[in-house]
Amino acid sequence: MSLIIGDPPIIDSLGPFGPRRMQVRVPVVDVRDDTLAELSLVPPVFIEHALAALGRASPLPAGDRLAALERAGRLFASDTVAGLSRDEYHRTVCRSTGVPVSVVRFGADEVARHMSEMRSIVKLARPAGAVSDRRDTRTANGSGLWVRRGSVFGVGSSGNYPGIHAGWLEALALGYRVAVRPSRQEPFTPQRLVMALRSAGFGDDHVVLLPCDHGGADALLRGSDLASVFGGDEVVARYADDDRVFTQGPGRSKIIVSADVDWRQHLDVIVESVAGGAGVGCVNASGILVEGDPRPLAEALADRLRSMPSLPPDHDDAVLPVHPEHRARAIEKYLRKVAEGAEPVLGGDGVVASLGDGSAVLRPAVHLLPDCSSRTLGVELPFPCAWVAPWDRSMGVAPLANSLAVTALSTDESLLDELADHPTIRSLYIGDQPTHWSRPGMPHDGYIGEFLMRSKGIWTSSQTNPDGNRSTTTQARSERLEIA
Amino acid sequence: MPTTATSHDPLVNPVHDPDFLRAAMDWHFSPETGSPFWLSRARLLDFDPRTDVTSFEDLLRFPNVANDLRTVQLRDLIPKGCRDSKIVGVFESGGTTGPPKRVVVLQEWYDLLTDWLTAVLDACDVPYGRNWLALVPGGPHMVGDLWRGVAARRGGLWFPIDLDPRWVKKLVSERRYEDVAAYTEHLFTQAETFLGVQDVGVIMTTPPMLERMAQRPKFMAAMEGQVESIQWGGAHMDPDSRSVLANDVFPKVRLSGGYANTMALGAGGVERPGLQPGDPCIFDSFAPFVSFAVVDPGTGQRVDHGQRGQVIVNHVSKWFLLPNNLERDMATRIESPVGHMGDSIADVAPVEEFEGQEVIEGVY
Repeated sequence: MSLIIGDPPIIDSLGPFGPRRMQVRVPVVDVRDDTLAELSLVPPVFIEHALAALGRASPLPAGDRLAALERAGRLFASDTVAGLSRDEYHRTVCRSTGVPVSVVRFGADEVARHMSEMRSIVKLARPAGAVSDRRDTRTANGSGLWVRRGSVFGVGSSGNYPGIHAGWLEALALGYRVAVRPSRQEPFTPQRLVMALRSAGFGDDHVVLLPCDHGGADALLRGSDLASVFGGDEVVARYADDDRVFTQGPGRSKIIVSADVDWRQHLDVIVESVAGGAGVGCVNASGILVEGDPRPLAEALADRLRSMPSLPPDHDDAVLPVHPEHRARAIEKYLRKVAEGAEPVLGGDGVVASLGDGSAVLRPAVHLLPDCSSRTLGVELPFPCAWVAPWDRSMGVAPLANSLAVTALSTDESLLDELADHPTIRSLYIGDQPTHWSRPGMPHDGYIGEFLMRSKGIWTSSQTNPDGNRSTTTQARSERLEIA
Repeated sequence: MPTTATSHDPLVNPVHDPDFLRAAMDWHFSPETGSPFWLSRARLLDFDPRTDVTSFEDLLRFPNVANDLRTVQLRDLIPKGCRDSKIVGVFESGGTTGPPKRVVVLQEWYDLLTDWLTAVLDACDVPYGRNWLALVPGGPHMVGDLWRGVAARRGGLWFPIDLDPRWVKKLVSERRYEDVAAYTEHLFTQAETFLGVQDVGVIMTTPPMLERMAQRPKFMAAMEGQVESIQWGGAHMDPDSRSVLANDVFPKVRLSGGYANTMALGAGGVERPGLQPGDPCIFDSFAPFVSFAVVDPGTGQRVDHGQRGQVIVNHVSKWFLLPNNLERDMATRIESPVGHMGDSIADVAPVEEFEGQEVIEGVY
């Protein structure tokens, strides 16, 4: 089946003692089932051994870390890394994930921008009362000291969008040693990042790439001090009580339109929230709550989404996600099951558009729900798929609970206050801003620094140093300049 | 090397496979010498073992009666011809798939097996006169009782720390990972205490425990400079893990593995001496008493050399008979050493179960 001439490239693990090729390899296939690469999987014992080495390693000084991240960001954004030019990298990710090439490009640029702005991003989560360096003179009065909760951060990454890798880069900036398990569908972005980071000055035992199977993923989670995982509700529930694990599950992002606002003026934002970035993100809107009759909005949304073209993902005008056809059919079947009781406005006769080469586009779907208490409102699928439901004030903001991002099209101050206060709504955009909007430095399900760090109390006698000459080392000075 | 066997008995000192098999079938299916277990089953066979079993392939004509070992009265397993033999003990197989299966081990077999293992360890340069620390199962499993004798034969003191694999498997199946961690900690605390004050030259344990050692700086530090050899067995080790353990985790220690099988009375295969970490992990059997066949799980036909298939383990000795026992293991069929009955096997792995792909809500 492979269209590649010769053997596909092998993606080696990048361990603490250099690259390592294992006997067990799995193919990384594109949406047409052509082999793009082979991924060498490491066994759990390799992971345990690697994590022990990471735990023993000392991080670079803070200033050096940030400088290296900036250099790595430039390499990642522009250079040939792992044999792939910037454009080849984008196209490879696009073929393997079926995400439109323009979306891949945007996501990769977002990661690069994150790296170039890390110097300012990394400060944002630190409490106002805490300093980054114990040599900071403010400790003379007593202050907080912003410290890591552990040494090794394990990352089980996802392959749906390159932008998801921004989080662990922040951990690296904070001095964690990071072990990344790439997704088997899209190992290219973390491979490119790890190689760029190493070229830019991070040690082999500072950041590692550990492709592995499920047994290895467990070893990574067990053996890391802190970890993050992506997954469905089951994964989120499994680690709900484990404060070492940061879970990223379904986003269930939503839009709410109150009666004081004419949604017709905001249709662009609604369309963009549902279908921007091909609708593959946890920050794409899946639920839309409308005060008053939701039908006209649903129909207008459907009209706009209907015109989106079905194109192969590497076409420059592609805007919809592509999957292997059998996978697309399975998702469609699932949609039909969960849509029972909902009225289809778009996609009721199917959402799969075959491209005739073994792959298929998932086209948008819009459904009307009879009420917004339906569990269906929270069904999030990896393509533009919106559930539109009536809402009224008597329901309050409860139907918007547990949303990763909410765009509120409303001028109702008390409603906006309630949305802002609600603890399980993690991002709130008031006005014309799509749910998937972000920029480096915006919290995404909180600042990851809130999870990675904590404040310890510190007080330092001004007599501590026999010379009476505090904060004189080069490292201390650079840490304060760069971070504080 | 001490020998306990009768040198004229072709069943104990086999020279020629057909003679050996004929003698074995005569022994097990003669009313005077056979076990009640086999004599009662002989009536159900559609062939006469005493005339029809003359080659290795003929062993595969037997039905697989391993399941009967879950319920049979243990005394019925002892050949009548061995009724004066000393009994070493009664042992059980894993017991993870259904109720456990049981076997009886007699002294002559135990001695013969100890002789063989001693020779194997000689070939692997496992030291004499050094003490053994064993993190292995005790009763009802066989490994501890067997290897205690092997260590003693080498002049080593045997210090076992009991590891209950059934309890661990139960904890894992109930996802009680914290309890697994606590139990593991309990085992390692005992091992580290011993290792910290006693001379230990050889460690024996299972692959999962070896992997956990890599995460125990205290254990690794205590091993440093004294442990020369690690013997592993009792669970699967994939080729990559074996290479990582040998090259990265224990670069100064000689690792060798075994494919022990309770249903073959503790024998099975041992790692072929001289293999390098990157080579396939080849196990040669204790032929002709224990022999392997690698078969296609669908057709039951033997696969070609180099191909993977399911492992059949035969035990044929004066003291026990269990031919054509299909194990839940896959392996590569490897040419056995000259004169060995049956196959050698490499890269043993559990029979894989099919994992379906389902739609999970959410985008990850």
